[in-house]
Amino acid sequence: MVNRRELGKLGAGLVLAGLAPRLATAKDSGFKIMMTPKWTGFPYFELTGDGAKAAAKELGDTLIYAGADHADVSLQVETLQNFVNQKPDAIILAAIDLNAVAPVLEEARKKGIVVTTYDADAAVPARDMFVNQLSYEQAAKVMLDAALIDVPEGGEIAFVAASPTSPNHMAHIKIMTELTKTDPKYQVFKVVDTQFAGDDDAKSYDVAVNLMQAHPNLKVIISSSAVSAPAAARAIEASGHVGKVYATGFALPSAIKRYLENGSQKAFAFWDPFELGYVAAYETHMKLAGKFDPSKVGATIEVPKANATFTAGKDGEVVYGKPLIFTKDTVGKYDF
Amino acid sequence: MSAPDDAAVGNRKGSRRAIAFVLRLREAGVLVFLAALGTLFAVLTNTFLTTQNLTTVASSAAILAIAACAQAVVLLTRNLDVSVGAMMGFAAYLTADFAARHPAIAPWQLVLIPLAIGAALGAINGLLVAYGKVPALIATLGTMSLYRGLTYVYAHGQEVTSSRLPPWMLTSVDARIAGVPLLAAAATAIVVIVWAFLQYFPWGRRIYAVGSNPLAAFYFGLRAERVVLMAYTLCGVLCGAAGLLYAARVGTVTVVLASGWEMSSLAAAVIGGVSVSGGAGSVIGAALGAVVLATIDNGLVLLAVPEFWRMFIQGVAIVAAVAADAAIASGIRASLRTRGAK
Amino acid sequence: MKDDRTKRPVRPQWPAWEMTLAALIVAAGVWSTTLSPYYLSLDQIFGSTRFFIIPGLLALGLAMVVSLGEIDISLASTVAVGTVTLSKLSMFGVPIGFAAAAVVAIGALLGTLNGVLAARFGLPSLAVTLGAMGAYRGLAFIVGSEVGYTDFNDSYRWLGATRLFDDIVPVSLLAFAAVAVAVWLLMHRTVFGRYCFSIGLNRDASWFAGVNVVKIKICAYALASALAGLAAVVWVGQYGSARGDNADGSILFVVTAVVLGGMDINGGRGTIGGVVLALMLLGTLRNGMGLANIGGPTQTVVLGVLLVGGVLRPAVAAALARLRRPDNADV
Repeated sequence: MVNRRELGKLGAGLVLAGLAPRLATAKDSGFKIMMTPKWTGFPYFELTGDGAKAAAKELGDTLIYAGADHADVSLQVETLQNFVNQKPDAIILAAIDLNAVAPVLEEARKKGIVVTTYDADAAVPARDMFVNQLSYEQAAKVMLDAALIDVPEGGEIAFVAASPTSPNHMAHIKIMTELTKTDPKYQVFKVVDTQFAGDDDAKSYDVAVNLMQAHPNLKVIISSSAVSAPAAARAIEASGHVGKVYATGFALPSAIKRYLENGSQKAFAFWDPFELGYVAAYETHMKLAGKFDPSKVGATIEVPKANATFTAGKDGEVVYGKPLIFTKDTVGKYDF
Repeated sequence: MSAPDDAAVGNRKGSRRAIAFVLRLREAGVLVFLAALGTLFAVLTNTFLTTQNLTTVASSAAILAIAACAQAVVLLTRNLDVSVGAMMGFAAYLTADFAARHPAIAPWQLVLIPLAIGAALGAINGLLVAYGKVPALIATLGTMSLYRGLTYVYAHGQEVTSSRLPPWMLTSVDARIAGVPLLAAAATAIVVIVWAFLQYFPWGRRIYAVGSNPLAAFYFGLRAERVVLMAYTLCGVLCGAAGLLYAARVGTVTVVLASGWEMSSLAAAVIGGVSVSGGAGSVIGAALGAVVLATIDNGLVLLAVPEFWRMFIQGVAIVAAVAADAAIASGIRASLRTRGAK
Repeated sequence: MKDDRTKRPVRPQWPAWEMTLAALIVAAGVWSTTLSPYYLSLDQIFGSTRFFIIPGLLALGLAMVVSLGEIDISLASTVAVGTVTLSKLSMFGVPIGFAAAAVVAIGALLGTLNGVLAARFGLPSLAVTLGAMGAYRGLAFIVGSEVGYTDFNDSYRWLGATRLFDDIVPVSLLAFAAVAVAVWLLMHRTVFGRYCFSIGLNRDASWFAGVNVVKIKICAYALASALAGLAAVVWVGQYGSARGDNADGSILFVVTAVVLGGMDINGGRGTIGGVVLALMLLGTLRNGMGLANIGGPTQTVVLGVLLVGGVLRPAVAAALARLRRPDNADV
């Protein structure tokens, strides 16, 4: 992570200088972008908000970040309706329920507002693009890779998801289960259980402990929830299962630093939420400026600060796709 | 209490025995329920009845038992506290944040912080309910939003992660004394102390007096306001303790810590036979109610029962517990009536 | 005795609190106008009311239960049972009229169950509906299975999604207004309503006066949950999505609206008008703060202060009165 902001400024400047003349008629900057996460007050979402704000600042846009203090879909729809009424140029959101947000987003699109989803998608017709942190396949593989670092010889694994209604968690679990059956690399694992902890730390802890009781030969607890994975690590440490059972999955490095450093855990995975937010806002800006069309499969966009070029895929999905795996040696390098 | 004349002694002995009978029965209800659950899980799985699993259940139930005990103290005065989770969260976050900034702080000093915060928050509730004459549900619904909201504002989108907490905070709650998790031992000690306070100290008895018959308590000369204020303050202190233990147990302290615990603590207390109309039940019952909930959670995971059924089963268990409790209470009333006739 | 009472004008307690609420609504509206330039438009204001229809329907139902001195915190879970039932009925192509009637009936059935447990068996309503809250939520998940359902046809969505008169007035708002008037008539202009309040004031006295307390209570619970069924129909239209977690966590807001509206939580006092005004106040505040992009936590704090301040009002007034006449000060 070298100095993000300066690089970004430089990059944005280059892009603007290079592309501006071609589309002189379209508005280039000064867009009003409004962003809402699933809920505010959770460091992960706050970081995506900070990233988006950084991008907006560099590109000369205004970015407003707001939302309810807990994940409640009717409150999110209310927030979105309030956004629409403020006539922004674009809305960026992480959807709680992909279908329930669709009506208000469709209304927004009818009014010419560009809609970008990140982190968790909305129904396809309701948004222009989805900046996906990792494709489901990629996410499943990176979590299993982390599990392989924990226990190279394999064994029994169990999943902890938020709820049976959270689409990405369920998709990850489905793909991971398939991979353990089909992919020779992951065939060492055997899926024995899936439990739900509703993104709640105490519940995740109890579920982890109960899983270890229910399956004496359990080797790895995998969770796509950034709340559940650290809680599971803590449960393993506290219940005296260190070295016998490992936790892995997605977690902010700050939340699992302790367990990696004291050796009770070996590997976790995530992505850079700041950069994800930055990329989402950057791509939204370029879509508004007419320099990027995510609806065309194969359209590319270069985000200099992220040091990468992203390609639009099917249904306007742009995969950010930069997984990070944290181990004892690397976790100290991250400041989030 | 001074010795009254003979006739009264006779009477009181009878009624004392009856009251002891009632109290024993009240906890007996939840104990029977717990035994039935235990037997069921022991038959259905071969892992349930192992020492390791039982200690797991005990430490899972420990913190909820303290929260349920806090809720019970208020319920006994014929009131209610829905800010239990918010008080836990507020106390836990501020304490964890303080500990992260002052890693050198001595353990006993740190422990005082959540207790003091809890006492203050609980006292605010108590003042509103006792002296402000605000119905308990409304007052604590308001302070729930207030305390939780202030926690958010204070935290400013941050969380206190395990690596920032003083290591002793985490290791101490993991400790075991002769195989018994310290967490469970601490919870048991707290619950027993509160029980003894309510049972044997005049101030504690007054909580029962005010809850079972406020009018009689008033004519007896009890200042109900003070008793209610004390109950809420005690509830706050217990929530502070529960919040600290929660933070140390989970390791990552977030702003949503213990949200929804107002309902779980209420459920545990109700399952444990604490009457929501005041004056009846005991904190031990409430703590056992927490053990019932933890046992259900544990047993259903062991049985690999889908999540949805867990909610359904816990809901039905609450209704069943209340119904059983009511049946027992009416049975007791009938038996008291026949005793009185004799 | 009886003649005396009927001669007295039987106005519901209309004055102070409702007037205060009305004044607060105006103040909140003015404040919102200064907060955000986007607030003051008919389209915007009517549009924002849609977010208060579902909690509003629940609040009207809860007000009936609260008038009896009881409480029902399982209503939000009943909404979820309703939405997933609608999704099943939609899957089988059942016409909306029949489906809506079925869902309202199922709501009434669940409410009856609460009512029987609370009234017939005399179990504390808070405890019973706490259990029911979990059980019905579980039931909604069991019926709805893991994945949400979205393929509702337009007839299912009409009530919740359509806006009439030049796309301004939501149909659901009209439905809410109709229900509010009906509930107001029921509670303030019929024998049933009078019985409800009298039971809330003094259950035993009402029983001695020949009121069938159990039946009235069961009816109130059933009606409240039937309205939750109606709220489910609105939900499906408004969000086009049915999942087991629908309306989870909204009950606290509903309780807030009811008590802020001046319903005495111990029963016997309060007006439906007050509840509607409280909903409008909460709606205006949330709309204004939302448009000004004030964060969720701050909104939560404001709500908490408002609630405590609102109900502390009589005590503060009494304390002030005592201060003014120190010679009369007694306990």
